[in-house]
Amino acid sequence: MMLIDCPFCGPRDETEFSCGGEAHIARPLAENKISEAEFADYLFMRDNPKGLFLERWRHSAGCRRWFNMARDTVSHEIVEIYPMGALPKTAAAKSAYSASWRRDTAAEHAAKPARTTVKNAGKARGAK
Amino acid sequence: MASTSQKSTSLPGRTALHGKAMTMHPNPNSGKPGLVFCELAHLGKLNMRADKSAGKMVKSITGCMFPPAANTFTSAGERHAVWLGPDEFMIICEAGKDEELASSIQASFGNRHAAVTNITDALAAFHLKGAAVRQVLAKGCALDLHHSSFTSGDAAQTLLSHAAVTIMALADDEFIVICRTSFASYLHDWLLDAALEYGVKFNK
Ligand SMILES: [Zn+2]
Repeated sequence: MMLIDCPFCGPRDETEFSCGGEAHIARPLAENKISEAEFADYLFMRDNPKGLFLERWRHSAGCRRWFNMARDTVSHEIVEIYPMGALPKTAAAKSAYSASWRRDTAAEHAAKPARTTVKNAGKARGAK
Repeated sequence: MASTSQKSTSLPGRTALHGKAMTMHPNPNSGKPGLVFCELAHLGKLNMRADKSAGKMVKSITGCMFPPAANTFTSAGERHAVWLGPDEFMIICEAGKDEELASSIQASFGNRHAAVTNITDALAAFHLKGAAVRQVLAKGCALDLHHSSFTSGDAAQTLLSHAAVTIMALADDEFIVICRTSFASYLHDWLLDAALEYGVKFNK
């Protein structure tokens, strides 16, 4: 049983929370054309690591707010709790974020307008 | 709070515990029952989404200091402003006054990015009093309900024997418990059972 420190309500029993699965899955923008297989990375593929995992949690029986949590799936140690939309700050959670296979997917690149445009432009030039 | 439940009986419409009869299980160790509870029928409940900039307005309409700090509620007579989340609160008022209060809050919002919703009939309220009230609640709740930890003016949304509830401590031996209307009958039965060893009375 975990004691989870809700950023709004303080420490509460795990039974009050529900886990929303992997965090930091950005939706590809419609303007960026990617293949169905690439889109599937966003829509279907979920990580299931043994060790530190970045997850979304919701205080469903309390304030009903979402937050992010870096949790060790083996020891259940909670390394960091941080707001939705933010990135982790602790060294361990930061490296879990950057080491994720998802960082290199076309789906994730397609979620950001600027970077994708540059990349596509590069590809287009290469094709010529 | 007793006056709230008495006034409410004159209001039309059934409430969650309409069909429950007065029940009394004497204290096996003699003396007063450890828990005496009743339904606060038709107790007015409004859900409010607003930030602290609505403080003055809420204070002037309800009398309650606003916003209450996290996990607490503020009171003015029978009215309470309960913290539910960083921008979400429940306004509790006298039975029968909910519609009037909701419209005056709504009107005062003007163009503010805020909302008020009347949830009076979506939720049912219990009034609990007695020497064993904390022991009874602790049987189904993971919160530390010791009187040094959960003091009067404290509120929490949590689970009470698997039912989602909002618990408010009015005094050392007095609580309001609010649950979804459809869970009220279950919580009534659970309270009667959980309080059996202390003696329990359910008042109509
Ligand atoms: Zn919370």
